[in-house]
This record gives sequence, structure tokens and C-alpha cells, in this order.
Amino acid sequence: MQRQPWLALVSGFGGLLLLMAVAEIGGLLVVNRLRVDEAQLHQRFLERSRILETIRSSIYLSGTVTRDFLLAPEGGAHAQLADLNSLRNKTDAALREYGKSLETEESAPFASLKSEIEAYWKVLGGIFAWSTEERDKYRYQFFYSELIPRRTSMLQIADRVGQLNEQTLQRGDQRLAGLVGRFQFGLLAMTCVTLLGGTALAIYASYLIIRLQGEARLRLTESVAARASLQELSAKLLRAQEEERRALSRELHDEAGQSFSAIMLEAENLLDLNHNSGLVPRLESIRNLAERGVTETRNMALLLRPSMLDDFGLVPALNWQAKETAKRTGLRVQVLAPDMQHELPEEHKTCIYRVVQEALNNVARHAQASAVQISLQQHSGELQLSIQDDGTGFDSQRVRGLGLLGMEERARHLGGTFAVDSQAGRGTLLKINLPLVELSKNGSS
Amino acid sequence: MKPIRILLADDHNILRDGLRLLLERQEGFEVVAEASDGREAVRLAQQHCPDVAIIDVAMPGLNGIEATRCIKETCDTTAIIILSMHHDESYILRALRAGARGYLLKDSLKADLLTAVRAVVQGQSHFSAKVSQLLQEDYFRELTDKQKEDSFELLTTREREILQLVAEGKSNKEIANLLHLSLYTVDTHRSRILHKLNLHSVPELILYAVRKGIIH
Repeated sequence: MQRQPWLALVSGFGGLLLLMAVAEIGGLLVVNRLRVDEAQLHQRFLERSRILETIRSSIYLSGTVTRDFLLAPEGGAHAQLADLNSLRNKTDAALREYGKSLETEESAPFASLKSEIEAYWKVLGGIFAWSTEERDKYRYQFFYSELIPRRTSMLQIADRVGQLNEQTLQRGDQRLAGLVGRFQFGLLAMTCVTLLGGTALAIYASYLIIRLQGEARLRLTESVAARASLQELSAKLLRAQEEERRALSRELHDEAGQSFSAIMLEAENLLDLNHNSGLVPRLESIRNLAERGVTETRNMALLLRPSMLDDFGLVPALNWQAKETAKRTGLRVQVLAPDMQHELPEEHKTCIYRVVQEALNNVARHAQASAVQISLQQHSGELQLSIQDDGTGFDSQRVRGLGLLGMEERARHLGGTFAVDSQAGRGTLLKINLPLVELSKNGSS
Repeated sequence: MKPIRILLADDHNILRDGLRLLLERQEGFEVVAEASDGREAVRLAQQHCPDVAIIDVAMPGLNGIEATRCIKETCDTTAIIILSMHHDESYILRALRAGARGYLLKDSLKADLLTAVRAVVQGQSHFSAKVSQLLQEDYFRELTDKQKEDSFELLTTREREILQLVAEGKSNKEIANLLHLSLYTVDTHRSRILHKLNLHSVPELILYAVRKGIIH
């Protein structure tokens, strides 16, 4: 459950849908069957009622025909006999049909009805054999003591059968009503189960979503924090690197450089004192080595971090950098920078200086340019640096070297923006804007 | 002849010893005080008011350029020579602005130091040969790079004459006497020179003269 919530969700939703589909199809089937059953039940009842009616009316008619025969004048018996036979056939056919579908409790009354009718027909058959005298003599007696009671008894039995038929209908109706009730209960139960299942599933799904959301938020917070600390770390690294360079540069300049100068001076002094001795070539060699030492430590120190940056500020350092690059590479480097009103904060100075240094290196190495223009301006609380060359350019959308990333990183640490605008064949323009909020605060205090 | 009284300021003892040795071996040079940082240099300069102060640019406490400014404020007669590892314009110009008249590189001390001391005592400027050479190279490269006309061509012969005298450290009065001109004329020429060369001060003018190779 905990490990595979998707399985639980899929089976839960699947089961729920299946349950609903089954309930719906089952319900439709049941309703359909009930409708058919009910129609059949009523159909059968009506059919049987009609048959019973036929039997009843035939028996009535037979009574009428018999009376007609008894009262009729001489010699008219043939027509009545034919009528009677046809009625009998009709009754027999009706009885046969009714007998096809008998309920158990109907069979006894139906059998007695049948035998009563048989007997009735026999009795009736007997009177057609009577002579005219016999007919005149027994007419009334037969009619009232034989025919009427038999007919009444038959009709009573038929009524009972009819009642039974009605009972069958009622039972059928009751059965159907029971079925409907059970179906309703089933439907209710199914609805309850579906509702409960759906609710549980919804609660579970909500729980999962909320938990996922919480996890996502946690991850986001973590990753934001991680990125922030990474940036902080990289800023710290840059600061530490700069500090290291500054210290090394000072150390080289102040200690190593001065020592070389002193050695050189000592050698000069010795040379003055011993200008005729054989030591002169060695002393000259020492002096020359020391002189080279001075030059080299100075160059190393400047390369690490030019002392003008700390001694005089950014613009002199940029001018120096431009001149050095021009000397080294033959590029024409122009610096357009007014002297800063306030000395810039340390980090801003370093950032701009290092970015320019990196950019000039890039231009010298890749751009095949002939001229670079560096412009530095201070505008409404913002320091704007742009470096434009006339070289080959590159696709700034795709190419992002480590150098450019480093510049961007430096700018971002100070809350600034960095933009490269370059296209193959159209030179490169680097733009960096650094906010100077801190500076104006410091400047006014 | 009165000896030239010298103040030495350098935080590096061995270097300072070497310098003193070098100077004191010369006839007519006397090292009157030694300082190992900028503040001490200012204090000793006030105390002794030497003819020349030789000051290292990079010193703890107060750097050489600031020390120069302070010394010039309290003791204007002291001529100042800056010792430096740097031959960058920004250092030279700032040293000149602070009031220094000599600028020597530490990798060519011996050759320049004595000449420099004698030159600044006479009110002239002096730069290491290497500095002059580098500055001139820079100047020519800039001219070629920017394909600009040399502004020096704009100056008349008289203006060039005066430019050299100003750069050498002569006062307006001295120049007027030398060239038999009125003080007012010399002043006008100076302003015109500064304007034509787009310069703003005497130190800039001196630097220009060095870059141009007019003085060394």
C-alpha cells in the first residue's frame, strides 16, 4: 500500500467502476425480466378468464337450448341438438385448453368441474331420445330438478376455478412485488457499497495527493536551499581565491621583490668596492640575476592581482590591464571610464576587474578581433559595464564557455545581470549591470 | 659645499642599509634619518626638513605617495624621490601629483639613484631610464592605435621650449628670466600648452614630457 499506491488506486478505481457497471447492467436485466414476467402473468390470467367465460356462457347457452328444445313444438329437435353439440365441442375444447396449464391447487376443482360437465352432457344427451309424451310429462321436472341444479353446481365450480385463477394472479403479483423489493434492496446495498468505497478511495487519493504535495514542497525547499548554499559557497570560494591572490601578490611584491632589490643593491655596493678584483663577473652575474628576480616577481604579483586595484582603484587597474593586453596581443584596447565618484566596494571592483580580464583573454584567444572597447558607467545606482569587440563573434545561444559562466556567476553574486550579444561575423558585446544600493548607503554615511 | 641631507624611508631594512651604504660612499651626501614606515617618514621629515627624501612607494601604515603629500605640506623645500617596483603610469602620475619629482624603479637603482638625487636637488625631475623608455613606447603605440595626430605637433617652437622648462621643474619666474619674456606671457603660454595637449596640471605635463621623451 505504502510502496505501491498506484496499484491501490488503479484497483480501487477499477473495482468501483466495475461494481457500478455490474449494478447497472444487473438492474436493467432485472427490470426487463420483471416487466416481461408481469406481462406474461396478466396475459395468462386474461386468457384463462376468457376460457372460463367461454365455458360459463356455453353452459348457460346449453341450458337455454335445452329449454328451447323442451318447450319447442313437435319435430324441431334437430336444430337444438346441433346447437348443443356445437356448444359441447366448444366447451370440450375450452376445457382441454384450460387443462393444459393447471396450478396444483386447481387440479381437484378442475377435475370435478370436468366430471360435472361430462355428466351434464350425458344427462342432456338422454332427453333427446325422449318421446313427445315423455317430453311433455317430464319437461318441467327435468328442467327444475335436473338441469338448473346441475348448471348451478357447474357454474359454482367454474367460479371457484375462476377464483383460483385470480388467486394465481395475486400470487404472481406478490411474487413480482417481492422480486422488486429484493431488487430495490440489492440496489440500495450496491449504492451504499459504491458510496462507501468511493468515499474511502477519495480519502485515500486525497491523502496521497496531499502527501505528494508535501514531499514536492519539501524537495523544492531543499533544492532551493541547496542552490542558495551552492551559490554562497561559490561566492565564498571566489572571495577566498581573491584574498589568496591579494595576499600572494603583496607577499611577492613586498618580500620577494624587496629582497631581490636588496640583493641587487648589495651586489652593486660590492661591485663599487671591488671594481678591480676577479669577483666582478660573479658580482655582475648576481646583480643581473637579482634584477631579473625583481622584474619577474613584479610581473607575477601584477598577474595575480594588480596593486593599482587596491592602491588607486578600479579605473587605473583597468587602464593598466588594457595597456598590458595591447602590449601582449596587439589588440587596440580602449577604456572609457570616468573616475568613480566614490570608491567602489571591494567586491564590485574585483568583479569588474576580473570580468574585464577574462573578457580580454577571450577576445585575444578566440575572437580574432582588432579592437576592443570597454566602457564603465555609473547610472542611477547601477554600475554598467560593456565590452565590445569587432571579432568573429559566436552563437551566444549555444556556446557558453566556462569563462562566460564564471562572469555570469560573479555578476549574479552581486545581484547583477549578465548578457552576451553575439552573432557569427558581428563581434561580441558583453553587458554587466551591478546594483549599487550598498554604495549609496555607504556614500551618504 | 654643504652636503645634501637625505631622508631614507623603506620598510625593508636590508634594502635601506644598501641604499645608505650606496649614498654615504658618495662625496657630499649625508643620510640624516631613516624611517621604516610612512608615518615615521613624515615625522622625521618634519623634524629634519631634509633636502631630499627617498621614499618607497609600498610601506605599511602610510604608503609612499600619501607620505609624500604630507611631507610636501609641512616641508615644501624637501625634494622627493619615489622608489617603486611599478612602471605603470597610474603610479607615476600619482607620485607626481603628490609632489614627487623623481621616480625610480627598484630594478635599476644604482644607475639612477645618484643622478636622481642631484637632479631633484636642483629642482629638476628625474625618472629611471627604463620608465622613460616604457612610457615613450606606450605613447607611440597609443598614437598608432588611435591613428591620431601627435598633439605635440600643435605646439609652436616657443611653447615647446616652455613645455620643456616647465617639465624640468622651472618656475614661471625662472622661465621668464631665461627667455626674456614677461611673467604674464609665460603664464599664457603655459595655459595654452595645457589646453592644446588636453592636460590639467603640472604633474600631467611632466608625465607627458616624459612620454614624449622631452625629459628623462
